[in-house]
Amino acid sequence: MAALPRRIIKETQRLMQEPVPGISAVPSETNARYFHVIVTGPEDSPFEGGLFKLELFLPEDYPMSAPKVRFITKIYHPNIDRLGRICLDILKDKWSPALQIRTVLLSIQALLSAPNPDDPLANDVAELWKVNEGEAIRNAKEWTRRYAMDN
Amino acid sequence: MEQFESLLTCCVCLDRYRNPKLLPCQHSFCMEPCMDGLVDYVRRQVKCPECRAEHRIPYQGVQGFPTNVTLQRFLELHAQIAGELPDPTAGQVMERCNVCSEKAYCAPCAHCDKKVCEDCKSAHMEVLRREISRINNQIRRGVNRLQDILAIVERNTTNLQTNCASVGGEIDEIHKRLAKALKDRTDFLRNEVDRYLATELRNLTHLKDNLELELSNIQSNCDLADKYMNDDVEWEDTELVDTKEIFLKTVEFLRNFDYEAGDYNRRIRFIMTHDPNQLVMHVASYGELNITQPNAYSGGMQQSQGLTRSKSDHRLATQFRQQEEAKGYTENDEPILGGRKFGERRPPPPEKHTRDTYSTADDYSGYESEHRPSRRFRSRFVRSHQQDNDSDTESTTRAAAVKAEQLQKEKEKVTDTEDATRGPLSGIFRLSDCPRVMQRILDVDSGKKKEKKEPPPPPKPVQPAPQARRPPAPARQQSEDDEISRLKRQNKGAASSQEPDRAPQRAVEEERTSIARKPPTPAREASSDGESDESVGSLQRTQQRKAAAPVPKPAVTARRPSATETPAPHRPAARAPSTESSASTESSGSAVKHTGNERTAPVTTNGTTGGAQRVQSRFIGSQRPTPAPVPAEPAQDSDTSSEEETDSSEESEEEPAPQRKPESQAMARSDIGPLLARSNNARNDAVDNKTNKETPTQSRYRTRQTSQTEEEPPSRYSTSSSYSNRYGSKPKEEEPQSSFDDESKYPTARSRYLALKERRNRLARSKSSHTGFGVGDDDDQDDPVSPTTASPSAYLAARYGSGTGGSELSRSRSSHALKSRENSPERPVAGEKDGAALSSWARYLKNKYGSRGKDRDTSSGTSSTSRRLSLGLPLRSANELASSDDDSKNAAGSPISPTAATAAVAGFAAAGSSPRSQYLQKRRLQFSVGSRGSEPGCFTWPRGIAVGPDNTMVVADSSNHRVQVFDSNGIFVKEFGQYGSGEGEFDCLAGVAVNRIGQYIIADRYNHRIQVFDPQGRFLRAFGSQGTGDGKFNYPWGITTDALGFIYVCDKENHRVQVFQSDGTFVGKFGSFGSKLGQLEHPHYIAVSSTNRVLVSDSNNHRIQVFDVNGRVLSSFGEEGSEDGQFKFPRGVAVDDQGYIVVADSGNNRIQIFHPDGTFLRAFGSWGSGDGEFKGLEGIAVMSGGNIIVCDRENHRVQVF
Repeated sequence: MAALPRRIIKETQRLMQEPVPGISAVPSETNARYFHVIVTGPEDSPFEGGLFKLELFLPEDYPMSAPKVRFITKIYHPNIDRLGRICLDILKDKWSPALQIRTVLLSIQALLSAPNPDDPLANDVAELWKVNEGEAIRNAKEWTRRYAMDN
Repeated sequence: MEQFESLLTCCVCLDRYRNPKLLPCQHSFCMEPCMDGLVDYVRRQVKCPECRAEHRIPYQGVQGFPTNVTLQRFLELHAQIAGELPDPTAGQVMERCNVCSEKAYCAPCAHCDKKVCEDCKSAHMEVLRREISRINNQIRRGVNRLQDILAIVERNTTNLQTNCASVGGEIDEIHKRLAKALKDRTDFLRNEVDRYLATELRNLTHLKDNLELELSNIQSNCDLADKYMNDDVEWEDTELVDTKEIFLKTVEFLRNFDYEAGDYNRRIRFIMTHDPNQLVMHVASYGELNITQPNAYSGGMQQSQGLTRSKSDHRLATQFRQQEEAKGYTENDEPILGGRKFGERRPPPPEKHTRDTYSTADDYSGYESEHRPSRRFRSRFVRSHQQDNDSDTESTTRAAAVKAEQLQKEKEKVTDTEDATRGPLSGIFRLSDCPRVMQRILDVDSGKKKEKKEPPPPPKPVQPAPQARRPPAPARQQSEDDEISRLKRQNKGAASSQEPDRAPQRAVEEERTSIARKPPTPAREASSDGESDESVGSLQRTQQRKAAAPVPKPAVTARRPSATETPAPHRPAARAPSTESSASTESSGSAVKHTGNERTAPVTTNGTTGGAQRVQSRFIGSQRPTPAPVPAEPAQDSDTSSEEETDSSEESEEEPAPQRKPESQAMARSDIGPLLARSNNARNDAVDNKTNKETPTQSRYRTRQTSQTEEEPPSRYSTSSSYSNRYGSKPKEEEPQSSFDDESKYPTARSRYLALKERRNRLARSKSSHTGFGVGDDDDQDDPVSPTTASPSAYLAARYGSGTGGSELSRSRSSHALKSRENSPERPVAGEKDGAALSSWARYLKNKYGSRGKDRDTSSGTSSTSRRLSLGLPLRSANELASSDDDSKNAAGSPISPTAATAAVAGFAAAGSSPRSQYLQKRRLQFSVGSRGSEPGCFTWPRGIAVGPDNTMVVADSSNHRVQVFDSNGIFVKEFGQYGSGEGEFDCLAGVAVNRIGQYIIADRYNHRIQVFDPQGRFLRAFGSQGTGDGKFNYPWGITTDALGFIYVCDKENHRVQVFQSDGTFVGKFGSFGSKLGQLEHPHYIAVSSTNRVLVSDSNNHRIQVFDVNGRVLSSFGEEGSEDGQFKFPRGVAVDDQGYIVVADSGNNRIQIFHPDGTFLRAFGSWGSGDGEFKGLEGIAVMSGGNIIVCDRENHRVQVF
């Protein structure tokens, strides 16, 4: 019920006015704290060419706590599990109020470019990524083509 | 610039730094809420959002971190360069929102009256908007009711106009007809009289000539006989024989010639075919206006009440709803919006708002003087908005507008405040006229502002809080162009420190209401002026009448050529106690023939003897248009062959008052009349010698009058001057005045000695009369034959008969009792001065008595009551006619008033008959005044009540600590006093009294003092304090004054009555605690009769005690109980000028009325809150019209009976 904090409004406005290349974040019509996010797969990554949908929710005490972000589009990534949950430090303990939605999404984009199998969330993917990176990348490309490209 | 901007932006709130705090890591963040939010309270650390460095929090908390002064300077610099507004929240401290408990910059919310954060506030506004739209729907649905009512009102207006016009037409028509008929008849009669006069005159002249001729012939014969019938001259025998014959014839002629005086002694008599009293009464009261009240508006009010309320019981909405309801059906009782201006803030909580940058103390004062504070932006948009009343506005404000239009009759020229269109009934104004609203709408229309969902209904809350608080700079400048006051206001609004605004506004509001209240007063004054005018008119009338009166009298007497009756026989008839049968015949004859005698009536008092006085009063009685005798008389007149019995029966039948017993009345007539007549004769003997020289005719008429009076023995004493005078004038409201005028006129320079004497007598009489049937006793003492001897019922009947216009009579009576008393002394004097002054009056007196004596001598025993009746009637009617129609006729007029005065002297007891019948009829509520409340015309436990000048009602509105004055119709006139103990302030005042000169005397109960105010309600003086000594009070309660201005106070808790001079000097006291005679327990109210009896409601002893002015107990009546004549905690007591006592029997919730001697007359009323029902009676008073006014305490009203 409570009205949107000025910071969220500002961030939203800025996201609209100065969108980050490769990222679009649109607040839900019904809930200004809920964003429909689309992140393009970074170049030179197995996810290149894919459009990945995410959902981002700003909790009540944002920006004192991190936004909740989740992949909606299936993605083959060691730090993202089947449910789309993301293992990213700034979304957890490394969160800082100085971070913003755009920085979070940039971080996620960067995560796509640089998977970190040493801090896995999807263990099988991370295993494969460590054992057979090529196959993992092929799988990732495959998933990207299958899930992130046809719509 | 961009980077500069970003450098000044806190990375946490992404807003301009507010109170930036520098962390040891050199990063800066706003202290609140940013830094606050970073605190890890468990570890008392703060982690830098930028570098994630962790810092221990200083002991004082984050405030302890140093402020980044450099950054702050940059901020200020930037603000200067960019011309930005100072941050409205800059000086503010964050508080916990009272709704969501979040820490934020809170501002008071008009909706919930709490300080809440922006979020909650906007939420509340959202709620409001929804409420408004819902209510708006209801209003729209309800509006048609108002429209219906409007239509009805319009219809009623036309109906009223047509109705009044038609009624007026009817009245005019009737008036024309009556006037024409009257004029025609009058002309006819006049012509007849003239013709008659001419004829008779001719005859007489002829006769005169003949006689003169005869005389000269005879004289010459005689001379010739003396001269030449001697031896000197030679006469033939035949000549001598013839001469002798002639002389013998002359002798015979002289012996035998008898002037048939009867032929030319005839008198025209004016006889009314109808009883003139009744005729006049009928004319005077012809037609009535029956007014039924259309209740158009009350219905409307109820309907608007019927608007269903919003069903949401949202806590926050409650207040708004109350406002909305207020819109519906409070009739200006409370200013809408609590007296605020539209969109203005409510009185802010005590917290100070420091950002009151623009306003200063001076500004406020100036602001106050400004009529209605205007809102920001207003003026700029007023005109444009008014011109193009665009559809949006129309729709949004239609509901309100409709009401405003409907309810408000005249729209003053539109000022730029919402007051211009304020609806007079509901206080609703047109929202579209509010400057704020205009601004909003204009903003919306012009699209200046970003789109906002505006609910259709009053857009008042639409504006989001931040904007309201922080108007954009340009807008402000516009407003600065406006009047200074507006600017001030705006600034104030901007600063959200509204306290100052509110106060002035209230003041204005009050002013307005007071103004609104004022208009009635002038109107009332005007009406009173009208009354006074009337009274003046009546005065003039009476004067004219008087002037005219003496003139016609001689003419009439001269004119009277009654062939059939010689004066002698008639006179005896009047006085003699002859048998009825003979009387009847005679009366019939005389009645028919003597049509002219009415005029002769001049009655004077012969002051020298008690009898004379009595006669006078008696005469008055006769003049009174008593219903009983009056109707009877016409009948007799017309019926020549009627017997006495039939006559009397007719009389009784015709008598209007139902209470009278016809038969007994008849008896009274037949029995008492002669007896009285006899007594009169006896009395008159003394005066006979004087009157002998009177012409028979005059005396005869006078006797008739007297005889007539005799027939109504009781009425003699009971007539009051006002009454008779009243008759002289017309029975109207003004009468008291006119009668007074009459009286006052009559008292000329004649000595008052007699009058005084008589008055003394009267007083003595009245005293004695107190024990019994006041009047009757008087008669007993004075008259050989008292009316009571005949039969009480007859007596009563006669009395009633005399009291025709009871109510009218009593009206004038009470108000004039005093005056008449004062005047009275002068009248009777004339008799003594007989020879000296030889004024017409004195002469008249003489004549009167002389005639009486003659009458008695010549023909005692021949008269009868019936005859007297018949004779009396025309007399009386003549008076009436004269007074009402024709001044010249009013020969009787002048005598009347002096007699009237005497009657008044005798009168307080005497007039009792009319009040009595009046009281017997009491029970029906005439109207009631007031309801609970503190507005003018409302009461909170009214207690004392008094009748002021002009029959105003003066009410002690006890728990409103004020005195209210109403006119006799219950229309509010004025109020004065307020709570307090200072001068002119009251604390639960109880008793009120109005003295002779119109001063208000108030028993200021809890202040234990008496206050006196002048007739305008201005404080004059106060006296007394709490205590038990002389001049001290313990809860003074009832209060009253007597004719001399002494103030009597019921000193309730001291169980005594104290008496003061009008200046507050202690005079005396009486009563002590106890239940014995003369002791008091909680005396509440007090009244003083015109005979200086002091009546005290000895409340806890359940009785009324009667004292004399010196405090000696005279009597006491009543005991505990609820039977007739018993009391339970009687409170108010009042006495009319006839001595009738009215008691507010509080515990029994009824009003009881007693005879002057304390015997029960009647009671009415019961517990309840309906008409004529009571809950806890307090003060009571009797108005001069006989109306009883009583304070119905627990019903918070005054009822009038």
